Amino acid sequence: MEANGLSKSFRLGDGSIRVLADADIRLEEASSLSIQGSSGCGKTTLLNLLARLEKADAGTVSWDGRKMTASSSPSSRESVMRADFLGVVYQAYYLIPELNVLENILMAARLSSSVNRDSEDRARSLLSRMGVGDKAKQIPNKLSGGERQRVAIARALINKPRVLLADEPTGNLDERTGGQVMDLLMTACDEEKTGLILVTHNPIFAESADSRVFLKEGKLITDEEFEEIERKANDEEN
Amino acid sequence: MKVPWPLYLAWKQLFPSGKKVSFFSLLSIIGVALGVNVMIVVIAFMQGFQQKFRKDIINAQGHARVVPLKPYASWDKIPPRLRKIDNVVGVTPYLQAQLLLQSGNYHAIPFCMGLQPEDGDEVLPVDDFLKGGMLRLQAHDAEDVTPLPTMEMLEDDVVFLSSQTANRLGVRPSAVVQVYEANATLPESTEQSPVRVTRLDSYVESGEWELLFMPSEGSCVVRENVSGDEFVWEYEKGSLDLGFGYPVFEISQGADPFVAGDRFLFQVFKANKIEIFSPSMIDQAKADEMIPPREVRVGGIFEVPWQGFQMEALIGTMRFMADMRDQEGACDGFYLKFSGPVARNEVQLQKKCRELELVLEEDWAVVPWFVENAWFFELLKFEEYLMVLIMIPIGLVAAFAIAIALMTTVLRKIREIGLLIAMGGRRFSVGMVFCLQGFIIGGLGAVLGCGLALLFIRYREVIMTFIVERIAGSDGQAGVAQFYNFHSLEVPFPWESSESLSTFLSFALFAVLVSTVAGLLPALRATRLNPADSLRSE
Repeated sequence: MEANGLSKSFRLGDGSIRVLADADIRLEEASSLSIQGSSGCGKTTLLNLLARLEKADAGTVSWDGRKMTASSSPSSRESVMRADFLGVVYQAYYLIPELNVLENILMAARLSSSVNRDSEDRARSLLSRMGVGDKAKQIPNKLSGGERQRVAIARALINKPRVLLADEPTGNLDERTGGQVMDLLMTACDEEKTGLILVTHNPIFAESADSRVFLKEGKLITDEEFEEIERKANDEEN
Repeated sequence: MKVPWPLYLAWKQLFPSGKKVSFFSLLSIIGVALGVNVMIVVIAFMQGFQQKFRKDIINAQGHARVVPLKPYASWDKIPPRLRKIDNVVGVTPYLQAQLLLQSGNYHAIPFCMGLQPEDGDEVLPVDDFLKGGMLRLQAHDAEDVTPLPTMEMLEDDVVFLSSQTANRLGVRPSAVVQVYEANATLPESTEQSPVRVTRLDSYVESGEWELLFMPSEGSCVVRENVSGDEFVWEYEKGSLDLGFGYPVFEISQGADPFVAGDRFLFQVFKANKIEIFSPSMIDQAKADEMIPPREVRVGGIFEVPWQGFQMEALIGTMRFMADMRDQEGACDGFYLKFSGPVARNEVQLQKKCRELELVLEEDWAVVPWFVENAWFFELLKFEEYLMVLIMIPIGLVAAFAIAIALMTTVLRKIREIGLLIAMGGRRFSVGMVFCLQGFIIGGLGAVLGCGLALLFIRYREVIMTFIVERIAGSDGQAGVAQFYNFHSLEVPFPWESSESLSTFLSFALFAVLVSTVAGLLPALRATRLNPADSLRSE
């Protein structure tokens, strides 16, 4: 997955706020990348732009070598492609309450039109790997937060996506559960050879990724650049 | 077969896993079902009434009427010609008149129709119209056993009156009651009431008839107590028919044999007479000519189920009517009855009528029943359409309720909608989820509504008796039944009549369509949502 020159600003009253300015990002196949940044700096917007859920002001996004203009609306073909190429995990799980755990996972398979006789076996296998194999027939409302997020990860992986976008997946969980969930997510992505873009506030989780970038004032910067900026800021304060 | 995901999700949102049915789904489906049920039942009953009127009209005037277009010399050669034509099963000539009837101080000017006794019931089931007279006895020791008159009893000096005319004039036909006095044999002594009066003509005189069984087997003495006439009747040889002016007795085999001394007593009341004046007689009376009125006996009382037939009416012979009009051999036309597809199909009937007009060389017009009564059926159709118009808002109210509920669902599920798009769902497909929910609610509601309507039609008698009894009481039930006879109403099931099938299908489709359209607005709202905004929403 690759994005070049992504820019995005939001209107606010008479003016506008620039969230992204000419941002470039590249994720190698089956690798992981974490994105850190302060609240409201535009991390979720960046993920939405990468997933083509939102139009950018400028730039391009490439999925599996297919280059798309980020400022245009996604086509129907892109929607179909998104189901196979991308998996998504959100902080708030977003499980469909009318479906049980297994049906929730298979729903993603239905959307990608890849549902077949093996899908249920794969869904059950993913649930087992996530440690919630016995919850297949449970209703989401009866599950704990950690269990729900494990189900959401299983759902994101059901179609064997090339890239998984995780937006603060442990944001609603306590530290211990969050750690467990993050371990499962990283392990599953490794095993499935799925690339991972992880948005998180937690530096430990961020460090566990193959590479790490920071989003600051609309720019994506590397670890070293970020540390340099932080040091300068501290010096100025002193 | 793989179910498309919008349909799968729509179904699951209405019938979630782990629950039998959601409250919203249940209420919506019941709402649609009740609407469909009411619409079908009302229209099916309206059609039932139309069917009943159609049947009553055909009974009262046949399938068509042949009327002369110009003065004619002789008509008696036409019925045989008509009878030879395919599908013609009955031809009844008639002659009409307006006559003044008088009985004591009471007068009536009914619609008068003359028929020939030999073929008068070929088209019109006059025997079915004839009812008992007004001698209604309610006594523990006597019972009205008057046999119903028949068309055979119609003669030149005998007329049948509609019940309204008979009531107005206060007249009745001859009658007979069986008296259970101390010495008479009670009906309980035999398993079947064995002695019956099978014919009581209009010339019978008032009197008391006594039947006394003798020791010798197979005979009894029949005595008329007023005149003292006495006969011995060997009842095993057949009925006792003493000719006109006498009641005909018959014995049906009972379980218990007659024993000597068994005694049966009957009291006979002669028929009332009425005086009849024709317009020419009245003209002559005005010119001071003394013309005596024609005196006739009341032979029977009739009731025609078709209200369009004159309420005040008289049926006499054609000859009597010709006499009264002073037009010997006159005929005003013929009633016709057909069989087969001509009788059942209005288009075929119309064609047949045209064919008959050509056969009769355009001297006669052949008017089918539905043309003659077009005004009435147009009125009924108008009433039916009006009912539909009144009931359509019921469907629309259900649709609004569904639309509001689905719109609320869209707002409640705004983040799920965003997620579905993020997972690869197309906006159109996401919208379809809500449209299909409307479709499913409409479909299930229509099926349930049709089922309820079938149950209502099947058990209409029980349901209507229950309702009418509670509204009008058991006494009022008879009054309601007179005008709205749900019991005898023919309301066909969809597999019995194409009209009924089309009613069921029309309202079921209407419900599905309206419910689906109700889902369109929420669907449109869902498709327009920005997925990123939806996922951010709180």
